[in-house]
Formats: sequence, C-alpha cells, structure tokens
Amino acid sequence: MHRWLALSNNTLFVYYLLSNLIYLILLVTAIFRNTWHRHRLASLRLERVKISPFTPPITLIVPAHNEEMFIIDNVRALLALDYPSLELVVVNDGSRDNTLAELRRSFQLRTARLLYIQEIPSAPVREIYTSATDPRLIVIDKDSAGSKADAVNAGLNAATSPYVCIVDADSILEKDSLLRIMASVFSDPQRVVAAGGIVRVLNGCQVSGGELRHVKLPRGSLEVMQVIEYLRAFLIGREAWAHFNALPIISGAFGIFGTDLVRQVKGYRTRAVGEDFDLVMRLHRHLHDQGKDYHISFVPDPTCWTEVPADLRSLARQRARWQKGLLDTLWPNRDMLFRPRYGRIGCLILPYMWLFEFFAPVVELIGYSTIILALVLGLLGRQFFILFLIFGYAFATLISIGSVLLEEMTYRRYTDWREVARLLLYCLFEHFPYRQMTLIWRLQGIWQYLRGDLRWREMKRTGISAGPMPNV
Amino acid sequence: MDFVSRLFPELGFARLIVEAILLSLLGIFLLIAFIAIRRWYRGRYFQRLNERTFALRSQWDGILSGTVPARSWRLKRLDCEIVESILLDNIEMASPQQLPPLLACLRASGLLDLRIHQARAASGWKRRTALVALGRTRTREAVPALAEALDAPAEETRIAAVRGLGRIGLWEAAIPIVDHLLAGDLTVPEHAVKNALASCCRDSPKILLRYLKQSTGPARELLARVLAEVATSDLGEDLILLATDGDPEVRASAARALGNAQPSFALSVLSVMVQDKEWFVRIRAVVALASIDHHARIRPLLHALCDSNRHVRQRAAWALGQMGSNLDHTLTQVVETQDNYALQAFISELERSGAIDSLVEGLEEHREQGSAGGILLQALTNCRKKIEQAGQASAAAAGGH
Repeated sequence: MHRWLALSNNTLFVYYLLSNLIYLILLVTAIFRNTWHRHRLASLRLERVKISPFTPPITLIVPAHNEEMFIIDNVRALLALDYPSLELVVVNDGSRDNTLAELRRSFQLRTARLLYIQEIPSAPVREIYTSATDPRLIVIDKDSAGSKADAVNAGLNAATSPYVCIVDADSILEKDSLLRIMASVFSDPQRVVAAGGIVRVLNGCQVSGGELRHVKLPRGSLEVMQVIEYLRAFLIGREAWAHFNALPIISGAFGIFGTDLVRQVKGYRTRAVGEDFDLVMRLHRHLHDQGKDYHISFVPDPTCWTEVPADLRSLARQRARWQKGLLDTLWPNRDMLFRPRYGRIGCLILPYMWLFEFFAPVVELIGYSTIILALVLGLLGRQFFILFLIFGYAFATLISIGSVLLEEMTYRRYTDWREVARLLLYCLFEHFPYRQMTLIWRLQGIWQYLRGDLRWREMKRTGISAGPMPNV
Repeated sequence: MDFVSRLFPELGFARLIVEAILLSLLGIFLLIAFIAIRRWYRGRYFQRLNERTFALRSQWDGILSGTVPARSWRLKRLDCEIVESILLDNIEMASPQQLPPLLACLRASGLLDLRIHQARAASGWKRRTALVALGRTRTREAVPALAEALDAPAEETRIAAVRGLGRIGLWEAAIPIVDHLLAGDLTVPEHAVKNALASCCRDSPKILLRYLKQSTGPARELLARVLAEVATSDLGEDLILLATDGDPEVRASAARALGNAQPSFALSVLSVMVQDKEWFVRIRAVVALASIDHHARIRPLLHALCDSNRHVRQRAAWALGQMGSNLDHTLTQVVETQDNYALQAFISELERSGAIDSLVEGLEEHREQGSAGGILLQALTNCRKKIEQAGQASAAAAGGH
C-alpha cells in the first residue's frame, strides 16, 4: 500500500510537471507565432483582397435549431459581411419555435424546387426556400435528426462554392473575419485545406442588429473564467499546435473547409458528440491515408463571438458534453495512435489528447485522493504537501496570465485597464476552485458516455443578441 | 537560488519545489509588471501621437509646400512617422492631379530615399515595413529597391516586395515580377502574385500578352489568368490565339478575357468554346457568354444546357435565366431540345431566381388545351415533379434517414 502510494504520487508529480511544461512550450511558441502573424498582416490590405477577382467564393452554412431569438439579426449580419462572393445556406433543423416563420417573413422566402443532390446523407429535406430580398440566401427546412452535424451535412449538399464556412446561428462574426480567415488559404492554397478562427466570449458585450458594438468583459465570475479559458485554448493551444501542423480541432462555431474535401469524407459524422473535433480528425486521417502534403491552419485575428453558459448547470452540461465528445472521437481513432503513418497526429497529438485531455480529470482525481491519503498515513510530509500545492497553483496561474499577456500583446480587445485588471485577478481563482468544479463535470461526462447517455441537454441562454442595446 | 538553502537548510528535496515556486511567482510578477508597464507606455505614446498629429495637421499646407522646412520634423522620429503616414494615406487616395505636390514633398524631404535605403540595407521586419511603405508611394524610383527584395531569402520579405510592387500599380512594377516568374525563382503565394500583376497591368494588358507568348507551364497559366481579368478589346485577335491554345487553363482564361473585353468577335469564338473538350473551359465560355448582351448567344447557351457535365448545365441555365425577358420563348426552345436534364437545370434555375412564378402565371393565361402555353405548362409541371423525385432518389441513394 505504502509503496503503491509513493509510486502513484511520484507518477502524478511527473505527470503534472510534464503537462505544465508542454503548456509552457506552447505559450512560448504562441507568442512567437502571434508576433509573426501580426507583422505579416502589415503588408496585407484587406480592402484589396475584397475587390480582388481572384478571391474564391464561400458558402456560409448556418445550422439553426430553435434560434428565433437570434436568427434574423444574425442572418442579416452574415449577409453584410465583407466578402466579395458569398452564399448563405441556413438550415432550419426541425425547429419547434418560429425560426422558419421569422425567416420567411423577414427575407420574403419562397418555395423553390431546386435540384438538391444528396451526396451526403441527412434527415429528409422538407422544403428549400430562396429569398426575394437577397438572392444569396437559401434556406433548407429539414427534419431534425437531433444533431447539428446532420444539419450541416444538408447544407453541404446545397453548397456551390469551393470553400464552406460553418458558423453557429447564435454566434457573431466580425465584419472582416471571412477575409482574414481566407488570407491563410491564399498564403498556400495548395496545402491549406481548412482553417479555424478564434472564438471569443460574447457575454457582456454590447450587440445591436446582430453586430458587435462594444467589447466588454462579462459581469459574472463564471463567464470571466471562461474568457480566460478561451484565450488560453485559442491564443496559446490552437495557435501553437497549428504551428506544428498538428491542429486537432477547428471550432464548430467558426471554421472554413475545402468543400470537396469535406464531401470526400462524407461531411460530419451524424452521431458524433463533438462533431467539430471528429471532422478534423477524420480529415487528418483521410489526408494522411492519401499521402497528401497539407496544412490545417489557425488564424488568430478573424473573430467569432459566441455566448457561453452563464449558470453552473448549463456550464456543467457543456463541459460534460465536451468530455463525451473527446472520448467519442478519440476512441474510433485509436488505431492512429503511435502509428508513424499518421505523422504528428498519430505520434504527438493523439497521445497528448488521451493523456493530458481525456485522462486529466481521472488523473487529477486520483492525484487528490492519493496525496491526501499519503498525508493522512504520514507518507508525505505536511510541508512537502503544502509546497507542492502552492507550486501547482503558481505554475498554472503563470500559464493563465501568459494567455492574458498574449491577448495584451496582440489583439487587445479589452481596452479598459480595469477589465484587464479583472482578468488578471480572475487568473488567480481559475485554478482554485473553478478547475476542481470542471473536473467533476468532466468526470460526469465520462460516466455518461460509458453508460451510453449521449443526449444533448438544452442550455439556458440569455439571448444577448436579442437583448436591448445599452448606451455605448 | 542558494539563498533558499541558506534560509531553509532542513528542506532537502523540497528545496527544489521552493525554488520552482519562487520562479513561478517571479514569472507571475514579471508578466503582470510587463502588462502594466506596456499599457502605461502605450497610453503615453498614443497621447503624444495625438498631440503631434494635431500640431502637424495644423501646419500641413506649409509642410507640403516646403514653407515649414523638412528639417523641423524630419529628424524627429515621431513627427517623421506621422508625416509619412499622412502623406502615404493621401497618396493612396489621390487623383492624378492631386499626386504631384504629395510626391514632391515625399522626395524633397528625403523620406523616399530613406525608405529606399532601408529596403536595401535593413533586414527582417524593418526591411519589410520599408517595402510596404515604398509600395504605397506609387513612385517609379521605388521599383528597383522592391525588385531587389524579390531575391530575398525570407519568404515574408518576398511577399512584402510583391505586394509593394502591386501597390505601385505601374506597368514598370510588373516587369520584375514577371521576369522572376518566368525564371522560375519566384516562390511567393500565387494569390499575391496575381493580385500584384492585375494591379500593375490594368492599364497596359499588352505587356502580359507579350510575356505570355514567351512563357510555358504554370507561369503561362498564371499570366493567362491575370490577363483574363485585365483584358481589353484592343488586345484584338491575340485573344483568339489564346482561345485555341493547347493548354486548357489558358483556354479557360481566354474565355474569361473574351467575356471581360468583349471584342466584336467574342460571340463567335465563345460559341465554339462551349464545345471545348474540357468542362471547365466550357463553363468559363458559358459565363463569358452570359455577360455579352446579344440575342445570338441563346443558341450556344442552349447547346451548353444539353452538356454532359452537370456544372456546365447549371451555369448555362443560370446564364439563360439572367436574360430576364422572353422567358417563355426561352422555355420553348429548351423544351424543343428534348433533353430532360437540360429542362431540369433550367427550371431549377428559374426556381432559384424566383422567375418561375411569373412564368407560370403567364402560361396559365394561355392554358387552353392544345395551345403552346398549355403544352409548356404541362412540360414545366412534369419537370418540377421530376426534380422533386430526383432529390428523393439521391437521398435514398445516399442512404439518408
């Protein structure tokens, strides 16, 4: 027992050090990458890209399920995006509210018997509509299959552009975000097959007519914690992994893909819990199988703003779902693990995801238990125990502050110094007690997955876009 | 970290952890201090920038005419940055009449020479910044320095040089790009090269044509693609030569060029091109035909509507649908082709554009049995059913739910 506890504690100590060291390497890489990217942008004039005849068309696909609160403003905002050649496909995924009625009324939709070839399977399409007010808008009304993936697949069948951009119906894209995200494709169109932009927290921001008017930090502590998490995940994690050409995920809220490539892999997996992660992993697999030289990139400046859970219950559900999605994708791709054929994905990313993402809550739980047990049994000095806790806390906080630093050095969306001070203050609380709460929710997710409970649980939404516009 | 051992001699292995904690705390302190100092410094910088911009703006006419001597602002770093920024913004927006005094100021103050020197002598981001600024000057003198940067080892520098040459927008700026392209040593993203060439050759597309004749392979395809965007009708029969080129990419670009330039022979050449053996050439020809406002385009478009390739059919349907008036007459001709796929593509396009409703209304007015309107209406109704069935069949084939 004593030997086992000592071994367990030593292993956990190494595990913890390793995971933080990896993040430290990612932080340094991300600082370098972000600086390089900003310098590179200096010679690029977006207005020239906008008027260029060589800029390829894009189809925006917006799956919408019970989105009556947001849909009209957001469709208007999407149609107003700065991009020379745009097609917008809204997929009404069996909404039970007035999503379709609102769309029909606002955009004067009319039924159109278009030749719709279902290359990728999806639930039956009831009707296709075109708009009398904007010929770029197509609305597909379909039965719900209970997943966003199925709705996107229906949209993919209707897309006519060489690139598709998947956007959540409750998210807000900045006006130049498409031009910015496509800049990464222009840099190497033969190799760049997909690109993701940054997703930021919309809560607290002032929104009017589907457009972001003023960036502000949310008031609630829970939401500010998520701001830090998103900054760390995108500005450090995604940026650095993309630098090593090993980006494992493009957020489902905002990403572009080569249309033909997504069709080749048969679109999203309908039953996937984390459909965005699943798609990117299948793209990696497909492209490696074909021996293609490719790059899946991340661009830190095109921004998508999305609402995050504001209450504990919704956050718990979201985190549990993310953990289920992780396992749901890692398990079918387990054959890629440690296979040199799959390059960095098989030998670096998948082991990392298993070890430091999926098993993290389990290891952490075991860690807390064995350390406390060792302390009670006198195997661990109280002094060492306290020092180790302080070190863990300080090191993790350092990484969190690093993500705020990166935001400060690069995009500075939070301009008021009081907001930055708040962000820094919350960095101190992120690793206690917030981290421990997410640990429990993630464990719940694993438990639900193992029990076969893959239900999508509704999240409470505040309806930011529909809210009154405060004075700016 | 020896002081840790001195302070806590009894720590042993835990000494390492104490050191790690202290390092982490130091890191946290440094990061927060860096953020705070950076914010404070930037706040001050922007305040000064604001003040100096206001001051320099108030003497702007004097700066431009030289009555405020250049030495009063040129050797002060911030003032120099502000004046250059204002000058370059104005140059980019200036009409040909407004340009001379702005360029005179740029030259007389030595700002242009400074940037040329930096573009040649500096390295890294400083060089790239100079290249971007040089591009914005729109001056011929900047071209040699930008051209030299095309040979830079760093890709970012080459990209900045290509973009800079593109911004100059003069045909002289296109020459070094094309020379490097033909020599095969220009490794820069294609999109940047195409945009730069299009910007430089917009007023003199003949330069591209001259180089196109000497080039081969991918460089030739790229030049043809750019030429397609800037072509004018005075390129004359050279466009016919390109339309019969052995490279399908060049033929496709020639079709686009014919659509953009619309020389007198465009219609007859494009009518042949809709029968090209490559589908993407046929598509380009169809799109080009759509832009030519002439009744004779209907015949080749109807031919394209019966194409074996679905994409060509859809484009042809779109082109026919664009014609707007006399849709019932066009429908009659489509029905006469007796090609079901052609009819489906056409009806589907009418559904997409919303023109179907007015067409059906018009036909229902002549609904009597046996009349042409009745027959067309029947054909149209049958076709709409078939489109629906085709959708269901594809869903079943794809294994939909």
